[in-house]
Amino acid sequence: MASIRRIASLCLLLLLTGMLTSALAQEKVIKIGALYPMTGRSGIYGMDSVAAAEMAAEEINAKGGAAGYKIQFINTDSKAKPDYSVTVAKRYISDDKVNFLFGVVSSAVGLALTEVSKQEKKIFIGTDHAATELTVQNLQPYYFRVSNNTFQSMAAGALYLKELAQTKPWKTIAYIGPDYAYGHAQIEELKFNLDRFGVKYQMVGEFWPKLFESDYTSYITSIMQAKPDILVSGFWGGDTVAFIKQAAPYGLFEKSLYFHPDAGGNYELLSAMGDSLPLGLVLSARHHNNWPDTAMNKDYVSKFHKKTGRYPTYAAEGAYVGVYAIAEAVKKVGNPDDTEALVKALEGLKFQQPEDPEGFTSYIDPASHQIVQVQAIGVTVPNTAFPPATRMLGQWKIYKAEDLLPPKEWAAKNKP
Amino acid sequence: MDFSFIVVQLISGLTMATFLFLIASGLTLIFGVGKVFNFAHGSFFMIGAYVGYQFSSVWGQNFWLSLLCGGLFAGLLGMVAEFFFLRRIYGRADEGGFQILLTYSFILILDDLVKLVWGTEYKSLAKPPALSGAISMGGIVVPTYNVAVIAIGLAVVVAAWWLLNNTRGGRIARASALDREMLSVLGVNVPMTMTLVFGIATALAGMTGVLAAPLRSVTPGAGIEVIIDSLIVVVLGGLGNFWGAWLAALLIGEVNSFAIVLVPKWATLFSYLVMALTLIFKPEGLFAPRKVRRV
Repeated sequence: MASIRRIASLCLLLLLTGMLTSALAQEKVIKIGALYPMTGRSGIYGMDSVAAAEMAAEEINAKGGAAGYKIQFINTDSKAKPDYSVTVAKRYISDDKVNFLFGVVSSAVGLALTEVSKQEKKIFIGTDHAATELTVQNLQPYYFRVSNNTFQSMAAGALYLKELAQTKPWKTIAYIGPDYAYGHAQIEELKFNLDRFGVKYQMVGEFWPKLFESDYTSYITSIMQAKPDILVSGFWGGDTVAFIKQAAPYGLFEKSLYFHPDAGGNYELLSAMGDSLPLGLVLSARHHNNWPDTAMNKDYVSKFHKKTGRYPTYAAEGAYVGVYAIAEAVKKVGNPDDTEALVKALEGLKFQQPEDPEGFTSYIDPASHQIVQVQAIGVTVPNTAFPPATRMLGQWKIYKAEDLLPPKEWAAKNKP
Repeated sequence: MDFSFIVVQLISGLTMATFLFLIASGLTLIFGVGKVFNFAHGSFFMIGAYVGYQFSSVWGQNFWLSLLCGGLFAGLLGMVAEFFFLRRIYGRADEGGFQILLTYSFILILDDLVKLVWGTEYKSLAKPPALSGAISMGGIVVPTYNVAVIAIGLAVVVAAWWLLNNTRGGRIARASALDREMLSVLGVNVPMTMTLVFGIATALAGMTGVLAAPLRSVTPGAGIEVIIDSLIVVVLGGLGNFWGAWLAALLIGEVNSFAIVLVPKWATLFSYLVMALTLIFKPEGLFAPRKVRRV
């Protein structure tokens, strides 16, 4: 008896969900299938990205959608696992009939999903993940990235170091970064760019702790022994927090200039460290809550704060911009189903973003499908406008977008 | 490499070794006494860190009081976990598999619990002001806090030695490692002993969590990250061997510390290499008594 009742209730449930989906199908929608991690160390980036993407969708829908289509944003916890994410992406395409694949924090997941996107001819809008190869050697027609890659950060970093040499001569560099693709790519790209811009330097040490290492003491004392003028760092997230906390009492930051141009200036670090963050560190990130000082950026940051009760980490802006990129492309094409026309629309798409300074508009480079953006590198200074952080970046140096794209030699050097 | 640098690097290794030991000691104690492998041991470390954060950073309490509360809370939670859950699987066929599954589920539950209560942002805990500087002597600079950590580690070693050798509780714990049945025939409440040992071990993990918090980032998932290194130490020292864990922690700390200087590219490999070689040539652990082998 009980089993019959169970079957009956299951049937009812199926019927209801069926009715619900068909009801939804009657409305014209753009379905975005996202895969952000919601758990583990990168969970904060996933939660911020989803919040910002939903914010963008609400804004667009409130204005009547894009070409009459409402945006429907769905996310599944990627668990930062490539194989699992591939399964979900395939289900998104076959069952949920999404129009776009979207997101991902981890480059490993990004590299796996770009293959699905290529096979299924489904556009994949990449946000936050930064491995350069996605828009160089692994580029395929249906992949677009709306946040900058590590090459752009490192090119800006190399220009910063070049300028620095004129005011404060330096000779030696040491590097510390996590021992996996992301850590290795950053220093390779920095060296390439230093050479490209004719900067002379001497490498006095490379240190490779494992990702999520908890104890850096022995690395710190080793670096101090090498006495580099500049310590380049390639950590992300909590590893940066742990490293800086452990290194500060040794006086490392008075002896070497701490230079961390890709992920060092992420708000999560500024908020986690408060007063214990040393002043004078040179950092950057893919978006800054206090730069540029434009109405659009201020508006974005305060809306995010109102929605979530916290200030965004840089991942959020990538997701926010990604949803707008889709809306802009659909507006141009008139529907979200003509994939080839959407690809054409996205190539060269130009639209204003929170991280655009006055007088510049970001655009997607038609050749590499990579967003071209201005980079700003700053120095930690006291600033309590974004609590709980008590230091933010200031004394900005700005680098032109066109100088930061990977040149042809780079693509030639890194053939698939 | 000059002499003062060698000393500095030795002290760095000692700092790492101390944290390794403080976590691994509880893990090995639980294994020694109850033959339970607590995969979730690192999660009690994490819970301790968060409770310490709550007391110290949110409520503005004294660091040492927060340390105590972090330990106490983790210890109580450990006793609850043992009393209501682990106790139910003792003596089952294939108990080992159940232990791993059950304690692994604790990791997931505690991770989510932490996320619900404190969110996913990185949390920070300030050092006690008196220990925030550095001691500098003849070209050697060591942060005061690291010296305090090493001292606390040594104090725990001495206290554990004294407790295990000179108190009735310590003798019961050691006896329970050797023959549980005999002990219960002699009128000792063995299950209660196990709950207490579990509580002490998880309290130690919780306190270590608070102690490590000013040097690390307090984040969900921290539990699973510390467990691997501690496991290496426990295996190297010989499963359940308290003193072995101490020596193994020192070994791993120093091997790691000098590998970073001498072969920076392969430094992370060495602790695993030491473990692999040990498992091949002396699987009962580097510091286990020989007799195990002849059985």
